[in-house]
Amino acid sequence: MSTDSNTMFLKIEFGGGLELLFSNQRSHRITIPSTVPADNNTSVTTKDAASPATRPADVTYLLHHLRDHLLKEREELFMENGTVRPGILVLINDTDWELEGEGEYLLKDGDEIVLISTLHGG
Amino acid sequence: MSCENPSVDKDALMARRPKFDKTKQCVKCKERTGNVVIRHAVYCKSCFFPLISTRFRKSLEPSVNPTPDGPRRKALKASGSLLVGLSGGLGSTVMLDLVAKTYFGAPSVADLGEEAPPSKPKGGKEHPRNMTGKDSEIWRGVPAVCYVEVCGAFPGAEDRTERVRQVVESYATTSPPFAFDFIPLRLEDAFDLEWWKGVGELLFTPPPSSTPILALQAYLSSLPTQTAIHSATQTLVRLLLLYTAASRRASHVLLGTSLTSLSVNLISGIAQGAGFSVAEEAMEEWRGEGKSGELTPPIRIVRPLRDVGMKECAIWAWWCGLRIVGRERYLGGTQGIGSLTRNFITGLERDYPATVSTIARTCAKLTPKEGSDGVCLLCQRPAQHGVQEWKSRTSIRSYNHASFSSSGHERPPHLANATDRPQHRTEPSPSSHLTPHLCYACHTTLTSRSSRGNVKQTSDSKVVPLPLWVGASLSLVPTSEDSSGEVWATRRMGDGEMKAAIGDLLLNDS
Repeated sequence: MSTDSNTMFLKIEFGGGLELLFSNQRSHRITIPSTVPADNNTSVTTKDAASPATRPADVTYLLHHLRDHLLKEREELFMENGTVRPGILVLINDTDWELEGEGEYLLKDGDEIVLISTLHGG
Repeated sequence: MSCENPSVDKDALMARRPKFDKTKQCVKCKERTGNVVIRHAVYCKSCFFPLISTRFRKSLEPSVNPTPDGPRRKALKASGSLLVGLSGGLGSTVMLDLVAKTYFGAPSVADLGEEAPPSKPKGGKEHPRNMTGKDSEIWRGVPAVCYVEVCGAFPGAEDRTERVRQVVESYATTSPPFAFDFIPLRLEDAFDLEWWKGVGELLFTPPPSSTPILALQAYLSSLPTQTAIHSATQTLVRLLLLYTAASRRASHVLLGTSLTSLSVNLISGIAQGAGFSVAEEAMEEWRGEGKSGELTPPIRIVRPLRDVGMKECAIWAWWCGLRIVGRERYLGGTQGIGSLTRNFITGLERDYPATVSTIARTCAKLTPKEGSDGVCLLCQRPAQHGVQEWKSRTSIRSYNHASFSSSGHERPPHLANATDRPQHRTEPSPSSHLTPHLCYACHTTLTSRSSRGNVKQTSDSKVVPLPLWVGASLSLVPTSEDSSGEVWATRRMGDGEMKAAIGDLLLNDS
């Protein structure tokens, strides 16, 4: 678990073929700041910004973070209009993110986020 | 509803409706907090597994017995063996798992939830609900899993046969173990005499071709559009599975088409002219010609996941730890009808989840207005009566037609330099014409050009190979002369001639 109160530790899992976009690695452990820029800019920290509008880190920020720092190829297959592309499911601590407020869910230290693609055929 | 401008006034936007009804509590047990939302209803993890399993059985079991035994089914007994189609994709992998767990002794569905399985099965161990395939022997013989590798059609695609084999063989290591027969096929087998000799009878002399894979590539490259290539590939896979099933005396072929995929297939099928066979897309019965040339017993093609959406499949696969090999999904490029429809339905499912099931339910109510005119030789589905006659009245059939040439019109710009397409025909019987024996959708697939997305012609040959079942069936159908030697023709009659022809049947005005 994270020792710094300004950051939080998360476990990310990819399934259903989505891992192919993330260097074919199914499980990732990442650290993100607890407070993030309101515009989801993942290249600056809240400390750098001149007059930062900030908010607590939520799933929407996490998606931007994954896109900017972990995604290796074909961004259009992962995100669309600021959220995950239709056909990608998100589980937050083994629960459908639709029950948790989707992108507005405020992340907590130690949360486990699973992203599963349904686009690999049937 | 507000009429303010949402880009200026943020309050003008309507509040987003939550994706679930009322509470986060499971709608079934009404005790635990829910884990998943399925079409606005909330279910907990323990209730999710029996829910999916029940939907699967409800879709499959009424079609197991040759004649339905009414609401109180006593026992399930199929007339033949079972063949499961596995593409390596999400739906079919989940279906194979459900088949194994429900009927063939893999760890039962009841063990998957957090609840311990009841010590005494409800209804007793002899109740059909509690019988597995092993002890009830629903299907005869060993069930088979058939995989069709399509990499031959798409250069550069990965051959996934071995990875799919590992998935199938993983059920032999479960407790209790169960071994399926694994039948790996390739798309080019449709042009391979060796394969055909194993499943059908050689009543004709096929045209000499170099290799099956070249024949497959020549066939696909002769198709006019990217969408047609996707559609032709689907038909080849379906028929390869069906002929293989017939050769194993199977009574049921199970396909892992989920509700989402079924809706995609229905909409894209209708868009490509397959509206006549909408019913067959969900459930069909097929009879092929066996090795002796007689019709085989009917084979039912069942899609037991037709009430289960892609979301539920993905969650089942995740919670059960299933390995999804993935499949080569060629939907005809980004502008192909298949690709556009899939994108549309996937977006619809996220925003309006219940609408996708409405598509399937609405299509289930459709029946063709007119009867069938036999079976299409290519896709072997019922063909509509009088298709060619109707087409000849509504479309320009040839730019070389005399009356058209004399009208002085020129070809459209995208066809200005086009040469005539090669004729689809089967040697050595040039007298047999294929067109009258095709359904509207297959005829469109083979002939309908597009102003965009045309496939570059790579083959110089004027003779295009066809799947072997077409040649076999074409050699059996009568030519334009019927059995009595009469030749039929259609022409427009004048009023007087018409009146004379039916004069004896007319009633006098007085």
